[in-house]
Amino acid sequence: MVSFILRRILVSILILVAASFLMYVMVGYSAQPLQDLQGSNSPNKQELINARVARLDLDVAPPLRWVLWISGVAKCAIPFANACDLGSTISNAQVVDILPNALAATVQLVTFALVLAILLGVTIGIITALRQYSGLDNTMTFVSFFLYSLPAFLVAVLLKEFIAIGFNDFLRDPVIGGLALVVIGLIVGAIWQSLLGGDAKRRLVVFLVSGLATSGVLLVMSATGWFMRPGLGAIPIIVLVAAIALGSATLLAGLRNRRAFITAGINAVIAIVAYLTLQPLFDVSSAGTLFILAVATAAVGLLSGFLAGGFDRGQNMRVGLVTALLSGAVVLLDRFMQSWGDLLTATNGRPIATVGSKTPGLSGDVWLAGLDTFAHLTLPTIALLLISFAGYTRYSRAGMLEVLSLDYIRTARAKGLPERTVIVRHAFRNMLIPLTTLVAFDVGALLGGAIITEKVFAIPGMGSLFNAGLDRGDLNPVMGYFLVVAAMAITFNFLADMAYAGLDPRVRIR
Amino acid sequence: MSTPTGLGPVPPEMPADELAVANSVPESQGRLIWRRFVGNKVAVASVIILLAIIVFSFSAIGLGPIPGWWKYGYKELNPQANGGNPTLSVLPQFLGGNGISLGDHPFGQDRIGKDYFAMTMRGIQNSALVMVVLGLIATVLGVVVGAIAGYYRGIVDAILMRVTDIFIVIPALVIGSVVGNWFGSLGAPVLAIMLGFFSWMGIARLVRGEFLSLREREFVEAARVAGASDMRIIFKHILPNAAGVVIVSATLIMASAILLETALSYLGYGIRSPDVSLGLLISSNQSAFQTRPWLFWWPGLFIVSLALLVNFIGDGLRDAFDPRHRRFKLSKMRETRPEPELETAP
Amino acid sequence: MSIRGKLFRKSLCGVAVLGVAALTLTACTTSGSTGTSTDAAAGGGTVTVAVVNDFTSFNNQTPQSNLDTNGQVGYLMGNYGSAFSYIDKDFKIVHEEKFGTFKKTSDDPQTVTYTLNPDDKWSDGEPVTADDMVLSWATQSGYYNSSTTDAASGDVVSGTQYFEIAASTAGLDTTAFPTVSDDNLSMTLVYGTPYVDWELVNPIGQPAHIVAKKAGLGSAADLTALMKGLPKGDTANPVAADPTLKAAADFVNTGYDVTAFPTDPDLLVSSGPMVPTGWTPGQSFTMERNKYYVGGMIPKVDKIVMRVIPDANAQVTALQNGEVDIINPQASADTLTALENTGADVLTGDQVSYDHLDLRFDQPVFADLKVRQAFLKTIPRQQILDSIVTPVNPDAKVLDSQIWVPANDAYADSVANNGSEDYAEVDIDGAKALLAGATPSIRILYNTKNPNRVDEFQAIQASAAKAGITVVDAGSPDWSSLLEGGDYDASLFGWISPGVGSAGISQIFSTDGGGNYNQYTGTNDDAIATQTTLDPDELIVLEKKMDKQMFADAYGLPLFQLPGVFGVSKRVSGVEYMGNQTGPFWNFWQWSVSK
Repeated sequence: MVSFILRRILVSILILVAASFLMYVMVGYSAQPLQDLQGSNSPNKQELINARVARLDLDVAPPLRWVLWISGVAKCAIPFANACDLGSTISNAQVVDILPNALAATVQLVTFALVLAILLGVTIGIITALRQYSGLDNTMTFVSFFLYSLPAFLVAVLLKEFIAIGFNDFLRDPVIGGLALVVIGLIVGAIWQSLLGGDAKRRLVVFLVSGLATSGVLLVMSATGWFMRPGLGAIPIIVLVAAIALGSATLLAGLRNRRAFITAGINAVIAIVAYLTLQPLFDVSSAGTLFILAVATAAVGLLSGFLAGGFDRGQNMRVGLVTALLSGAVVLLDRFMQSWGDLLTATNGRPIATVGSKTPGLSGDVWLAGLDTFAHLTLPTIALLLISFAGYTRYSRAGMLEVLSLDYIRTARAKGLPERTVIVRHAFRNMLIPLTTLVAFDVGALLGGAIITEKVFAIPGMGSLFNAGLDRGDLNPVMGYFLVVAAMAITFNFLADMAYAGLDPRVRIR
Repeated sequence: MSTPTGLGPVPPEMPADELAVANSVPESQGRLIWRRFVGNKVAVASVIILLAIIVFSFSAIGLGPIPGWWKYGYKELNPQANGGNPTLSVLPQFLGGNGISLGDHPFGQDRIGKDYFAMTMRGIQNSALVMVVLGLIATVLGVVVGAIAGYYRGIVDAILMRVTDIFIVIPALVIGSVVGNWFGSLGAPVLAIMLGFFSWMGIARLVRGEFLSLREREFVEAARVAGASDMRIIFKHILPNAAGVVIVSATLIMASAILLETALSYLGYGIRSPDVSLGLLISSNQSAFQTRPWLFWWPGLFIVSLALLVNFIGDGLRDAFDPRHRRFKLSKMRETRPEPELETAP
Repeated sequence: MSIRGKLFRKSLCGVAVLGVAALTLTACTTSGSTGTSTDAAAGGGTVTVAVVNDFTSFNNQTPQSNLDTNGQVGYLMGNYGSAFSYIDKDFKIVHEEKFGTFKKTSDDPQTVTYTLNPDDKWSDGEPVTADDMVLSWATQSGYYNSSTTDAASGDVVSGTQYFEIAASTAGLDTTAFPTVSDDNLSMTLVYGTPYVDWELVNPIGQPAHIVAKKAGLGSAADLTALMKGLPKGDTANPVAADPTLKAAADFVNTGYDVTAFPTDPDLLVSSGPMVPTGWTPGQSFTMERNKYYVGGMIPKVDKIVMRVIPDANAQVTALQNGEVDIINPQASADTLTALENTGADVLTGDQVSYDHLDLRFDQPVFADLKVRQAFLKTIPRQQILDSIVTPVNPDAKVLDSQIWVPANDAYADSVANNGSEDYAEVDIDGAKALLAGATPSIRILYNTKNPNRVDEFQAIQASAAKAGITVVDAGSPDWSSLLEGGDYDASLFGWISPGVGSAGISQIFSTDGGGNYNQYTGTNDDAIATQTTLDPDELIVLEKKMDKQMFADAYGLPLFQLPGVFGVSKRVSGVEYMGNQTGPFWNFWQWSVSK
């Protein structure tokens, strides 16, 4: 095992070095770092060219310059020496200094997009697999193909034009018109009925109930000016938390498991009590507080499940954990919504942003800052996740279908296990195995896609660094970008292999 | 992971009679695949529409010195008529077939008066060109590298696969940008060829995987005993059996080639003016989104259509070659990652 | 029932313990501040301006930091270009007399005296003195440099390079060490040879007391004393470097380059109307009013935020979405309409850069004047203007002078007499007559990455073909390195005319000028003479003569000035169009925000 990991790391480093040579030479020969000076009519043009040539060693041929560069990079391997030298940009900024900021912006974006794409993609993939050849399945198949064929920048531009500007314009006078209400109701009703399925009568009931409920809620929200002062309020939170408890217990443990229901119930009660009592604490919270609260929530969930025990502790702990985290999320969501008014004031009533990742000069508590980040990153994240969402849907649908056709599932069904158990406990885990491979690859694709998303949304991340560097013929930041992206791609591949080995007992590492 | 796990149970999607055919007469494999593909209405329709669009675009403005039937060229400057608005007054049936006669500039004109219809057609030509050229080069290179590595195994395999790793580490869009920045101004064919040289890795992996398993089969042993040369075994005996993998991934590479070229043009590293690509059209007319939206929507429509059609064809081919959905190849070509050094426990 | 009761109690106990522990922990992490503020409340309000590049340095004068955004920050901070004078939108030099005065006291030898307002202070409360001006002079004049650089590697091979500066040292390099008045408030410069652009010299840059401190000296006066004792640099016989001045120079050269908002307040010290107060790299740079500033450019707004948005389309959407108040995007007709639709104020005008076609006099094809004239007669300048510029700026006219732009007073007068009317219209017949049956083939070099140039090239190619001239595409993305010694006959590219000053003239139009890629010799003497002509009228006569000479020689043709556009949100007033690199910032003190 250890020798495998060491060998793997060594090979990865060699590959990285070789690939960096390839990249360096290609960029080096294609770049024109002197272009802006050569075309200038400045009287001291030659001195300026000389200064830049001297600063960046441009007189050295790219393959040789790579040697200089890689020896600077090699210093990064010296622990604690802080001797990393990735070269400097044309503007004399050390690449080592500008990378962290750019990296943080991109990692934030890519992480959100990746997690959401997996959650949404896998969920929809499973649902469509379970409703194979239904209207929903066919629609989703077409939608995922469509998304697959959509250029990323097209999505990004459309999101900006329609969602950001459209929603902000809507906020100026947040009233939903009658026609819009009907259309939204129809769409939501159609989605729910195809999700829940059943015979014609059931579908019709589901369609009507969900459609009317949606329209009704929107009507109330629009009439009460909810969009200007959003929040959930005590009663909706209690209802939501109860629904979460019920849902997670049912889904993860089944209707008959009393202990699971006790666990979920305890967590729901705690969440509601916490909601009612912790508001003063929330008002003075920092990000650290929220982190501790999240850890505590998870611990409470696990502990309650453990203590409720029974023959299947693990299952109860899962129920507890899911209930606690989701209820906690609802409580937090409510608190975040309470800061909406502040954000509206700070942004002149136009909260959804089209550029950057934060409002300049905004100083507020963690809630306002969080909401501001949300308002800035939602659209880029959507634009980015659509790239990989389709892949996950297709993969997990196909994976689920394959798993469901296997013998052991038939056995499980034959021995009378409820369908819920078969899918959640037997099929789900095995379906995930091939997905690990996709995740590893997807990280590379998302990092590439971020180049476009960051350009459209003016986010100063790795992609912008690369793009600006390549445009200007500035080799070092491009190489800094390459190093990070390549290292991440290699690392995720490695992790995927590990996860693969961990999930699939048939595989062992040599 | 890419090797079949043996005979599984009959999956629900496969009709029993097709399975029977598949198992009984191996010679009819090609015909069987053809029949399955033809049975896939979406895929067949996609092929027809795709060909129609491409033929339409080439016939409209011609190619090089050969003139097309459309009166304007994509480089020609024309006086601004109708304020640059599209003169297409009826929504075309599907391809613009009956809308063409309706005016001078059915898709409108760009800022300096070039005919947007001609430009869009040129964009389609270039997308098609990039798609085919990139796809062919990547496939040929990938097959050669993969076949040699998989067939010879050992040190050859190790070297070739490490070389593949080196190329694979760089995300497609990144290496595409660098290549485009370098060769973009030399014209679409050069760009397509150069991009092809950096897109073969996924296919090489897959082909290698196929070869690794196929070379152990009896028919290869038989050929070897009969004295066939390595080249003959590789290309006459093994390769035809790996054709499914190759064709499907080639199609999917082509779909992604369209999107890659589009993205590169958007970033300014793709095809350069005065030549036209669909991505370039969108990129240079992005500011017209609110004022003259047609400049944005026409190329957008065709990009999505082309990519969608090719993806449907790829999906249809995959179903035809492997009706059991055993391998989820839709994303296989995207799956350009080092194979895990794993072995399956007995 | 009993099971459930037991379970319940057990679970609750455990959970309660955890809860208490968690609460205790959270108490340690809470932040004190409860309220939220957005800083927008105070008096004058905030104006947010979109910029294309991120900020990189508080010293915008070094070769590596000479970028638009740095220059704009410098403009607001009062260093180089906004202390004693600034350039207004008509490209006139405006003396800013509340901060200090300067005037030419003698023509022979040319002597200029700068006098500070005694109340001038840096933003750290230290007074602005002649020491600061001497440091700035030392920086801009290259007085102490004795270095010789290797042309290939750009490395210094002998001597010492002290201050590195992006601008040319020409002019100030002939000055002697300045005289400082006893009250330490004025400085007198004496030029060795007359310098035409003396009015552009603005001797306030970095704070001398900070630079002295960083070099290990006690005070600004010590720095002046040190410099006074050092000899002028001599490249032929370089003396050993002075370590203290070298340290000071190194600090000025690179010490101001930053990648994050500095923790060292010394870097933020400003003599101008604004001080930097915040920077989120890649996103926004914030400046607030400098309470110590007593000059005439006191802003009405409290805060100016520069928002980094590289993509022009993103700038438009950001303005539309209220995220920025002023944008200066790349102009296109669509951008203009989109801006008008958003309800923003749209200001259009000319940029300082202009596109031009030059002919190479050392190429055989252009050896004959008639061929040059014939070719220039086929250039469809009006058509090019109509397709590229008119949609953005309907009032735009073809540029008809090699020296001036229409914003200059002398332009109209010169155009009337310089012979440009010969090329006012495309004259195919005239061209054919001049060619007398010859069918020359001309290779044009241009930047294939620039869509405007591509369009220009196509228009020229089509038009010239009518007169039997074959125009060959010699365009390249690498055009700039091919300008010097490339294989081409004519070139199509842009110059940036500063709009003010005459330093560029000898650069482009003298025989050995670094920008003379055409081997043109016709205006050499006059071009050199312009650099030492102090009398403005005499200078104009000289320049008019050159302008005329160039049209007579068929030097080439200026095409047009690039159009520029500002989009300004309705809530901001007082913004006026300006075509140079300072952009919308040029009159920032006149901006105001409506409530």
